[in-house]
Amino acid sequence: IYDRAITVFSPDGHLFQVEYAQEAVKKGSTAVGIRGKDIVVLGVEKKSVAKLQEERTVRKICTLDDHVCMAFAGLTADARIVINRARVECQSHRLTVEDPVTVEYITRHIATLKQRYTQSNGRRPFGISALIVGFDCDGTPRLYQTDPSGTYHAWKANAIGRSAKTVREFLEKNYTDEAIATDNESIKLAIKALLEVVQSGGKNIELAVIRRNQPLKLLESKELETLVTEIEKEDEAEKKKQKKST
Amino acid sequence: MATFFGEVLSVYSRAVEEDDEDLDDENEDEQIHRAIEEKREVHIAWCPEVAQSLEGKLQCSELIIAVGTNAAGFLSAYVLNTESWDAVGHASLWNERSRGSSRQSIAPLPGEPACLFYRHRDNPAVLVCQSTCYIAEDQLFQWTEKVFGCLQKRGLSVMVLSDSPVAEYKTPDYLYGSAVPFLRSLKSSASKSQALCPALEQPNILTGLPAAVLSHCQVHQIPAVLYQCYTDVISPDSITMETYKPALLCLSKLVKLEPCLSADVLRKFAIITEAQSNLYT
Repeated sequence: IYDRAITVFSPDGHLFQVEYAQEAVKKGSTAVGIRGKDIVVLGVEKKSVAKLQEERTVRKICTLDDHVCMAFAGLTADARIVINRARVECQSHRLTVEDPVTVEYITRHIATLKQRYTQSNGRRPFGISALIVGFDCDGTPRLYQTDPSGTYHAWKANAIGRSAKTVREFLEKNYTDEAIATDNESIKLAIKALLEVVQSGGKNIELAVIRRNQPLKLLESKELETLVTEIEKEDEAEKKKQKKST
Repeated sequence: MATFFGEVLSVYSRAVEEDDEDLDDENEDEQIHRAIEEKREVHIAWCPEVAQSLEGKLQCSELIIAVGTNAAGFLSAYVLNTESWDAVGHASLWNERSRGSSRQSIAPLPGEPACLFYRHRDNPAVLVCQSTCYIAEDQLFQWTEKVFGCLQKRGLSVMVLSDSPVAEYKTPDYLYGSAVPFLRSLKSSASKSQALCPALEQPNILTGLPAAVLSHCQVHQIPAVLYQCYTDVISPDSITMETYKPALLCLSKLVKLEPCLSADVLRKFAIITEAQSNLYT
């Protein structure tokens, strides 16, 4: 059928291949991004790794440059291509204009690449959405999201992948100035958002943060466990308070 | 014959002649047809105790059929997991997609696509059928006639659980990811029970074994209800299996069921393809 094979419009204005690519994104595990005041946080649901597989080669969070990193959801191989192109562009930009890229610049580059594949004959769109975080030269924290159609927008907090809708609804309710008042609180918000949808709790979460003028840092599992325990205690305390008041 | 472009084609005469030679050809054709029919025949093999009591027909008040790996997995986990079920028979057939079941007398190995029948020990009027093999269109009628031919029609009521890909579900609205997997129901007109989920909307249709069974029940006025689960995964998956839970309400009136299943038990029946599949991250 014409509108399902190649990227041309259907009579009612749909680009079915792009819409199907967005379905492919939903097959990837959840990733959440939070923009704090002095920190940006990326949290992902780790997928189960085969016994003989090297865990550290199965990563959803990747650096694009010292001050920018991204998490993706969708087709692994497509992500590798996009990430490689973005990394090359980051260095090319540094060499050409002697400045690191702004987060918006590299997001726009990725999004333009994705859009090109929705208009080329014989090529299918990239089946990934990405959350791109980092700090610009002037110290502003940024979070952007791209999708297979090649659109990109800035967000305060967002989620992509399998249960993105549930996580986004959680964030809409819980992303407040209080919730991101400190770095620690921002990290905990990301963990809480993921715990809404991740099976078997903290063991399956991976978290990365970038602080202003610092490189990407992946949280160690002990740190994560401590934070998850803190959150569970806070939850229990909240429940007890609610019971007492009723 | 000469064509417009100047070629000369040799053309065969299409006049039909009744010859002795033609009869031989016809015999050969008939032989081939018969051989194919025999190969594609559906055989229902019952265990000795049941085969004996089949001189009359099998007393059956409730027949539960699961079509598809998720429906079968749901029954295995929630119903057949208690120790009180006996395997009483299997259906064996051959077609292009189900080649393994050419051995008729030997029961299929566990894990193989197959069509298995189970009977409850304490309540022998309850029969369960798990069908995970592909049954071709030309074999569906035979399967239905042979299976229902063994059962007593009076007092029989049928429930069918069937898997279907959500890509085949036609709806004018956009389906959000959280809605999938979901159930839809269809009943024969003799069925007076309340369906536990919305009815299947037009223009969606049923195909395959569920359709053959429901048609048979409609024609023979047997009360039957079907629950079709639309899911977006290809392999057996615990979340899809859990979607069939509303059907447990009907089943629990008849037989004792596992009240509460741990996620681990369910996962045993779901193929762990995620670890091997690196396609999506």
